[in-house]
Amino acid sequence: MGRIGEVQAPVATRDALARGRLRASLVPDLLVEARRIVNTVIAGWHGRRKRGIGENFWQFRPYVEGDSSRIDWRRSARDDHTYVRDREWEAAHTVWLWADPSPSMLYKSAGAGVSKESRALVLTLAMAELLSRSGERIAWPGLTDPFTARNGAERIAAQLSHAAALPAKPDLSAIRRFCDIVIVSDFLDPVEETMAWLDVLARHGVRAHLIEVADPAEETFPYAGRTEFTDPETGDKLTAGRAETLAEEYRLLYRARREELAGWCKRLGWSFTVNHTDRLASDALVRVHMAMTADGSHGRLTAASGHAGKAVA
Amino acid sequence: MSWLPLSFGAPMVLWGLLALPVIWWLLRLTPPKPQTEVFPPLKILARVLRREETPQQSPWWLTLLRLLMAALIVMALAEPVFNPREKLPAEGSALALVIDNDWASAADWGKRVATAERLIADAGSNGVPVVIAFTAEKPNAEIGPFDASAALDRLRAAKPRPIPTDRPAVYARVAATLERLPGAAVAVLADGLAANGDEAAFKTLLEKNASRLVWVTADRLSLTGLIGADNQVDGFALTAIRTPGDPAPAQVTAGAFDDKGRRIADATLTFAPGEATATGTMTVPFELRNDFASIALDGEHQAGAVRVLDESSKRRRVGLLSQAEADQAQPLLSPLYYIRRALQPFADLVEPSSADLADAIPQLLDQKPAMIIMADVGTIPEQVRQRLVDWVNNGGTLVRFAGPRLAAAGNDDDLLPVRLRSGERALGGALSWTSPQAVTEFPKNGPFADLSPPSEVTVSRQVLAEPTPDIVERTWATLADGTPLVTGAKKDKGTLVLFHVTPEATWSNLPISGSFVEMLRRVVQLSRNQGAAVANAEAKATSLAPYRMIGADGTLTPPSPDARPLVPGAGLLPVTLENPPGLYGSETGVFAHNLLNAASTFAPLARPQVSLPVTAIPYAFDESENLKGPLVALALLLMALDTLAVFWMGGLLSRRPRRAAVATAAVMLALGALLGHADLARADDAKPGDAQAIEDISKTRIAYVITGEPGVDSISRAGLEGLTRFLIEKTALEPGPPAGVDIAKDELSFFPLIYWPIDASAPMPSQAAIARIDAYMQQGGTVLFDTRDQFSNGIGATGASPATERLRDILANLNVPPLEPVPSDHVLTKSFFILPEFPGRFNGSPLWVEASLDASNTENRPVRTGDGVSPIMITANDFAGAWAVDENGDPLLPTVPPDPMQRVYALRAGVNIMMYMLTGNYKSDQVHVPVLLERLGQ
Repeated sequence: MGRIGEVQAPVATRDALARGRLRASLVPDLLVEARRIVNTVIAGWHGRRKRGIGENFWQFRPYVEGDSSRIDWRRSARDDHTYVRDREWEAAHTVWLWADPSPSMLYKSAGAGVSKESRALVLTLAMAELLSRSGERIAWPGLTDPFTARNGAERIAAQLSHAAALPAKPDLSAIRRFCDIVIVSDFLDPVEETMAWLDVLARHGVRAHLIEVADPAEETFPYAGRTEFTDPETGDKLTAGRAETLAEEYRLLYRARREELAGWCKRLGWSFTVNHTDRLASDALVRVHMAMTADGSHGRLTAASGHAGKAVA
Repeated sequence: MSWLPLSFGAPMVLWGLLALPVIWWLLRLTPPKPQTEVFPPLKILARVLRREETPQQSPWWLTLLRLLMAALIVMALAEPVFNPREKLPAEGSALALVIDNDWASAADWGKRVATAERLIADAGSNGVPVVIAFTAEKPNAEIGPFDASAALDRLRAAKPRPIPTDRPAVYARVAATLERLPGAAVAVLADGLAANGDEAAFKTLLEKNASRLVWVTADRLSLTGLIGADNQVDGFALTAIRTPGDPAPAQVTAGAFDDKGRRIADATLTFAPGEATATGTMTVPFELRNDFASIALDGEHQAGAVRVLDESSKRRRVGLLSQAEADQAQPLLSPLYYIRRALQPFADLVEPSSADLADAIPQLLDQKPAMIIMADVGTIPEQVRQRLVDWVNNGGTLVRFAGPRLAAAGNDDDLLPVRLRSGERALGGALSWTSPQAVTEFPKNGPFADLSPPSEVTVSRQVLAEPTPDIVERTWATLADGTPLVTGAKKDKGTLVLFHVTPEATWSNLPISGSFVEMLRRVVQLSRNQGAAVANAEAKATSLAPYRMIGADGTLTPPSPDARPLVPGAGLLPVTLENPPGLYGSETGVFAHNLLNAASTFAPLARPQVSLPVTAIPYAFDESENLKGPLVALALLLMALDTLAVFWMGGLLSRRPRRAAVATAAVMLALGALLGHADLARADDAKPGDAQAIEDISKTRIAYVITGEPGVDSISRAGLEGLTRFLIEKTALEPGPPAGVDIAKDELSFFPLIYWPIDASAPMPSQAAIARIDAYMQQGGTVLFDTRDQFSNGIGATGASPATERLRDILANLNVPPLEPVPSDHVLTKSFFILPEFPGRFNGSPLWVEASLDASNTENRPVRTGDGVSPIMITANDFAGAWAVDENGDPLLPTVPPDPMQRVYALRAGVNIMMYMLTGNYKSDQVHVPVLLERLGQ
């Protein structure tokens, strides 16, 4: 009888990067909804589908009294009205990305395709790829400061592979208002601890996107018989005489934890996404993508027109 | 272990049980190894697990199981024996076994052999030779000394014999053998029955050379034997004996069997307490008694409890002879009437067919009767007289009655017991002073001695005997005046009896008294059947071949090779190995040679008083049982249980919960199906195919014939599908999906219309299938034949196309009514759409239907009247091809010519046909509605 779960070796960052790119290529360019972003951000090359500071033509509009904008005489000369040339607002946005590096993430059960760590890295690097393609500033707490680069995902991957030891829970107090943060973890610590850790983000007004990477074995608890369970983080051991008798209660507790966390996120206006390692990473990517680009249909609309903007750029 | 009949071959091994506590300690120490699993959400699990007690050690029952297993193995290694037997002391230079294998040992022969085997085994282990002798074997049988294995072979080859023992001879031989083996232990395995010469025999055996006596007898001698079986007047008297001195009452059941071994009668014999003899009577009809071939006591499997019966115990044949013509009008005056009535219950009556004595007597003698009764026969014809005399001399019983003819005939010394005075004597009457005489006490020497004299009988006329010196001893009954009434005499082996009165109630009223019957019975008892074997005097004198032997176990068997012919003689014939009990003779006549005779008793054998050391043991089976095998098996079973338990605790059995659940569900389903089926079986007469039938009739479905050509069938299906859609779209009819029918098997009567595309390449339907189609058409169904060959012949071709040929072949076997193309006023043209023609994929072929009988449309109505629908329609236009649509409703095949309206017309034709099928002439009536309404309005 083979074991159900095992601890995988940490995934090679380059490998994760390649897979992340693959995932990212499946998702349309990420347009971070920026309605809450201050005007004074570094200009990105990403059209916001509204007039503002930028280099590209957006629209001509009739000049009204008191308009501070310059009249575009070339256009005004064509008829009796005077027009003002608006430019499309182009702005960049800072998105922090973080994947849980703890040993518990290395777990992979027989039913899952990849380990949780692998999935988390793929998700974060895919996000990085998406965001940097869109010209957003990305950063990894405790690893890099926000930066803008076309090859942001690659840079983060490189830094990750060279980082000596990453803190299990980085200090999030440096993250400022109007930033987004994508946190990919299994959130298996007690909910209170997780909340306490993330509370600083809520206080700073950061919008967080939590992705819970879950292994199917953790959720369904398919164990039976006399089983000794080992915690990969602490090394604690627990022996269950007949594991199948625990399944029901365990599942309740497991789900209660998730629901509590999800409810907390909802209250704060954060998104909470669950991604199972036996499902595709794209599921979570699309959901987070939608959560970042504002709500539902509007988000999709802007995403669709984003292509046009990019084409113009 | 005195409290248990248990001993150990290797008791030292039992010290191994001391290791059990160590094993217990070890077992408690090492719980079964758990499956190790990495589990990240351990903190959550820990909250659940805290409430459960974690078994860190093996559960107590598993420990107990394993301890038990260890204990069993230790016990098994110690070679336990249950019910150990005692060994005989190893003494003597040899063992002499003297075994009674007579009939009395047959019932428990197995026990005797087992006991002897143990003795031989002990002798074998002591290494002494064994002398083994059987007391009912041939006197020249080898008795040894043998080694133990040869003695065992001898023992196993020995069988009980249905004969008594011959102890003196055998014991003498053993004693002679023992002279070479002084100091031998002598084991006497006795049957418990004493016999003549026992004392001397034991003395011979034990006096010299014997060092020890092992006396083996049964605990209790319980033998029952049948010593008598006598066919009495009113029943079959049985006498049984048992061992004397048995204080308890006992009851045995005797069964009588015919020569085929069928049990035909029963009797119960009861031994009073302390009595050794019991009698009983089988009161069964005399007819049955004659069929008795053997009588056996139930539950006694030995030869003494069986008696075979021969002719002597059977019903006698009695020949009746009379010279008076039987007057059927006055039967009470017939001389043989009362004799016949008296003898019929207990004798076979033989009457000659001829009244002529010269013929009648040989006829009777050929039947070999036991007795011949002559009613007033005077002179015996000379030519048969000598035969009759010979018959009497050979044992026949001749009973004669007096009468006028006998009185006139004169004396006959050979055939009358006494000399008679000629003439008769009348007592009483108008011319006589004497009064009719009564009968006095029967003389003691006669066969009637135990009868009480009939006081009511008076004799008014008789024949008188000459007074001779022996008249008194020949007189069996006398009258009050001392004259003999019945006289009898032995004549060689036979008997002559004379009743001095007539057999009818003319001379006396004796024949109508009850005593007459009794007296005749007594006489019949005296007689003996003169059967074939007995009549064959020469053969009897020599010997009788063995016919059926009584086996030692009491069953009748074919003769053994040892059996020799029996020479019957006077007195009791000894039962020996050469003449075992049984039937001797042949099928035509047998002689019964029985083991026990009327004088037999069962005297118990006493242990001889000797000065030797004596060991007395009973017969018993060896009940010791080696428990090693069962214990090891039990330990293995426990091991298997332990393995299962470990698997269960390790979760292997529940690791695949889904599969287990599926299996459980399957089992439950199967059970449910069984139970459900059982439930249904009570109330339901469900037949296979019911579901299909219900589906077929719950919606109207159009059927098509499955021709076996896939292309044709799929087009048929698609075509009917298209028609169905069109019907649903245009009409109130909503047919179900089209049904393909196999005309050879499927029920056709569910479908109003069967579409049959004729395809020449499809196999020709069988005659039975066509007969079914015929029946379908007769019962109101309609078949739409479609040859689909309107244009395939080419323009102007004269010959029929292959499809048409095939259609003709099919129709040749059908009852096809006269056909006509649909006339313009046919209801088909109006049943839903107004249609002048019926196109399909092709156009131009007429649609043939049954011709209307009243084809003339005289009253110029819009439609012709007529009942019923046409059972057959024939077209060549390929309807299905035009109707066929795919899933999207797009037509599959182009019409010829490619005219979209033609497809519409084809569908309309289909609608009309369906409406015609379902409504019949209703539509033809409907066309008159406006006219009717108009009339009503007026």
